[in-house]
Order: sequence, then structure tokens, then C-alpha cells
Amino acid sequence: MPRVRALYASFKHQAWHFFADPQWLIPNIIAPFIVTMVVLLLFQDVTGEVVLYAVLGGGMMGMWGNTLYASGWSIQSDRWWGTIDGVFAAPTHIIWVIAGRSLWSALIGVLNGLLVLVIAVTVFQVPLELNQPLTFLLAYIATLLSLACLGLIFSAAFVLTRSAQVLTNGLEFPIYVGTGSMFPIALLPLWSAPLSLSLAPTWGIDAMRYAALTDYTWGLPTGYWGDMAIMGLLSLVYLGLAIWLFIIVDRVSRRDASLGRA
Amino acid sequence: MAVYASNPFRVFWSSAVVAKNALFAWLNPAMWITQLFFISLFQMAFFVYLATFVQNPQVSVAYVAVGNALQSVAYVSIYAVCNITGEEKQQGTLQNILVSPASRFSIFVGRAMFQIVNGMATVVIAFFYAAVLFQVDFSRTDFLALAATILVTTFAMTGFGLMLSSLGLYLRTSMIIANIFLFLGLLLCGVNFPISYLPPFLQPISYIIPMTYGTEAARMAVTGSTLSGIALILTVEAVVGFIAVLIGYAMMVRFERIAREKGSMERF
Repeated sequence: MPRVRALYASFKHQAWHFFADPQWLIPNIIAPFIVTMVVLLLFQDVTGEVVLYAVLGGGMMGMWGNTLYASGWSIQSDRWWGTIDGVFAAPTHIIWVIAGRSLWSALIGVLNGLLVLVIAVTVFQVPLELNQPLTFLLAYIATLLSLACLGLIFSAAFVLTRSAQVLTNGLEFPIYVGTGSMFPIALLPLWSAPLSLSLAPTWGIDAMRYAALTDYTWGLPTGYWGDMAIMGLLSLVYLGLAIWLFIIVDRVSRRDASLGRA
Repeated sequence: MAVYASNPFRVFWSSAVVAKNALFAWLNPAMWITQLFFISLFQMAFFVYLATFVQNPQVSVAYVAVGNALQSVAYVSIYAVCNITGEEKQQGTLQNILVSPASRFSIFVGRAMFQIVNGMATVVIAFFYAAVLFQVDFSRTDFLALAATILVTTFAMTGFGLMLSSLGLYLRTSMIIANIFLFLGLLLCGVNFPISYLPPFLQPISYIIPMTYGTEAARMAVTGSTLSGIALILTVEAVVGFIAVLIGYAMMVRFERIAREKGSMERF
């Protein structure tokens, strides 16, 4: 129960932070939104369902942008504010505090992704006719959770470095490329396939396309439910890895007294 | 001390040296090299694969790769330079700088100087990726013209970054502005598609950002234009960059006054 209370308190705290300084939504949404606009302008002579690649990819990018900034900046902000030692010294393990923050970011991530979709539909007049809306929604939420699990791993790594800000900026496009957020991963070099397939969101975006498009020819052979199962499995692996990393990080940072290095 | 502070060139130089030393004290060299080599690669790869998928006849792989190679300078000239004031604020050193008698202009321009070297290195590496990984044909390239384009664009974009940086004196963080302009460059500056694709009301905005001239000059240099052929474009780009620095200085003075009046100097 104390863990759940810590999780809830951390969630609430992150929400108050957000409302106190909502400008943080801007960097989270600006990259996916602008990249989606660039892609839609590139697609301007293309018609049909292929344009949905841009819209669905934009939604996924919005979610990842939010998750990445939340995981990178929550640790960095604690450093700047001088609160990181207090957070680590609390009797509740850091993973519950970070999990609470991640849950809030996941919630904002859903809105962020949806906002990209709404703008694409209203401003760019992209017809968003989903083939199977309910399975699409399921894949959308599952993809977000998989991104949150991936973000937790990065959060753990960010505790050990003073360069979380640099890493946060640098990790945006690799995930966009690796997951094939806007194009089929079949276009990537063959050697990169294991890397792409080890990313849970790759399966998530594929599942979203299976649910949204009536004629999806570039899909992975696993199909919608296969994608969902593999994404779920990988997300659990990420979660386990994140918990293990946080235990190590907690020990190393206490031993090296490196937490407060801003 | 007073003599030292009143000499703008010494202030400029010491500020540049301190900025370089501070960067490596804060960021370990391995991380800096990783950033230098990888930050441009994935952005370029993203748009190159996208162009391959879209198969728009007006937007070839070479078009996108060259545009993104030059635009990679924005990560340094916009992001790093724009964050100068924000970082001073976060480190608690902004007030000390502003109460010193030294010229603000010399301090902040000096702080940006190492980023010019950093920016040029980033672009050169990005062009290397364009040639080796994405098979852009450089056989007709006038390398002198391309080098001049990289030099002028880096200086001009650093001037643009300094202008944006002045907002950090007043805002809680300049990172928001940095992010917006970093990505706006992808949309407005002809990096991934011709400016003519943009709605007419956005096209004039493209021409107040130096990168727009840079991407045009870089593509011309890659396809064989000589330095004299792109001289006019580079001159206009340099002028736009210089105007950005002047506007930035005026904004810095103004925002410093507002921040002093409102007591918002330490707000972040």
C-alpha cells in the first residue's frame, strides 16, 4: 500500500507540475507536429490510405516525444531543483516515484498523440477512416504503454549521467527511424532488422496500421494479434529490465555520491 | 580588472575559452563525440527513407540528404546557442554575469564561438554520411563553394541562435524556443521539399531564416555551381545572419530590462 500511495502522490505531483508550467507540452508536441506537417507536404500528390502512414506515425511520434522528454527531464529537473537526493533518500524505492511520473506522462502522451491526429484531420483534411476503430484504439493504448516501458529504461540510465538533456534530444529520431514510424521497416538495411524488431513500438505501429488500413501490404507476417502479443511480451521485458536497472542505479549513485551533479 | 572588463575583445576571447572549457567539464568527451557523429545521422536517415517511400519525383534522396546535412548545424547553432542564457540561469550564474561591467554582447557572442567550430564539424560529418551511406553523388561538386556555404551558414545560424537566446533572459526557459525553431527549420527552410510546397502565407517567413539560403546554395554547390555562382545567395544569407545578431542584441537589452523590472531573472 505505501508503494501505491507513493505512485499516486508522484502522479499527482507530476500533474501539478504540469499545470504549473504547461509550456512543457510545447517541446513534446512541436517535433511530431512539424515532422507530420513535413511528411504531409511530401505526400501532397499521393492519395489513398498510404497518407494514413503519416498521420498514424505522427500520433506515435507524439507519444514517444512526450515519454522521452518526461523520462529525461524528470531526473534532470530534480537535479536542477536540488530535490534528487531527497527523492532517492525516501523509503519508497525510486521506481515507484518514476512510475507515477511516467503514468502522468502516458496520459498526456495519449492526448498529445490524439492532438496530432486531430490537427492532421482538421488542418490537412486527411480522411481518417479507420477500418477497425476499436482494435485501433487498443493498439494505440498498448503502443503508448510499450513506449512508457521503453522510457523507463532510459530514465534509469539518465540517473547516472549529467548528459540526460543531450541524450533526450539525441534519442528522438533513432526511435522514429528504428520503429518505421512513417515508413515500412522493410526499407531499412537488412542488418538493422533485429534492432527494429526488438523495439516494442515497431510492433505497435504495425498493429495500428493493420487496424486502420483496409489494404495493408507492408505488414509484418504476424498480423494484428501477433503484433500485439509480441509488443506485450517485449514491454514486460522492458519493465523487468527497467526495475533491475533502477536497483543497480540506486546502488551505484549512492556509492559514488553522484546524484547531485548538475 | 576594470580595464579587462572594458576591453570587449578580451571579454569576448575569455568568454569563448570559458565556454569551451565549461562544455568539456560538463559533457564528457565521449558523449560529445557521440552527439557529433549521431545526431545528424538519424534525422537524415529518417527523411531519406521517407523520401524513398513517398517517391515524390521532385524530392530525390540527394535533395533530402543534402538539405538535412546542412540543417544538422541547427542542433548546434539553434539548440546549443539558444540555450546559453537558459543554462546560465539554471547554473545560477546569470545574475553574476549581468552585474559585471563587461559587455553583454562580447560575453554572449564569445559563448557562442565554440559552437561555430562544433557546428561546422557536425555539418561536415553529415555530408560524409550523405556520400557514404546514402550514395549522394559528389562527383560534380565544387568543394570550395560547399565549404563557403557551410562556413557562412554556420555563422549566420549562430547569429540567429543568439537572437533567440535573448528570449531566455525573460522566459523561464529558452529551450521551448530552441525546440520550436529547431524543427521549424525542417518545415520552412527548403530542407526536405521546395519552398513552393508551403502555403503562400508561410513562404515569406522562410526567407528571414538564414538556413533557407544555405540549403539552396549547398544544393547548387553539390551540383557543380562555383563560388561566384552562389556568391549572391551567400551574401544575402550573411546579411540576414548579421541582422539577426543586431536584432538579438536589441532584444537582449530589452529583455534584460524587463527581467530586472519583474524580478524574473532566476525563474526557471
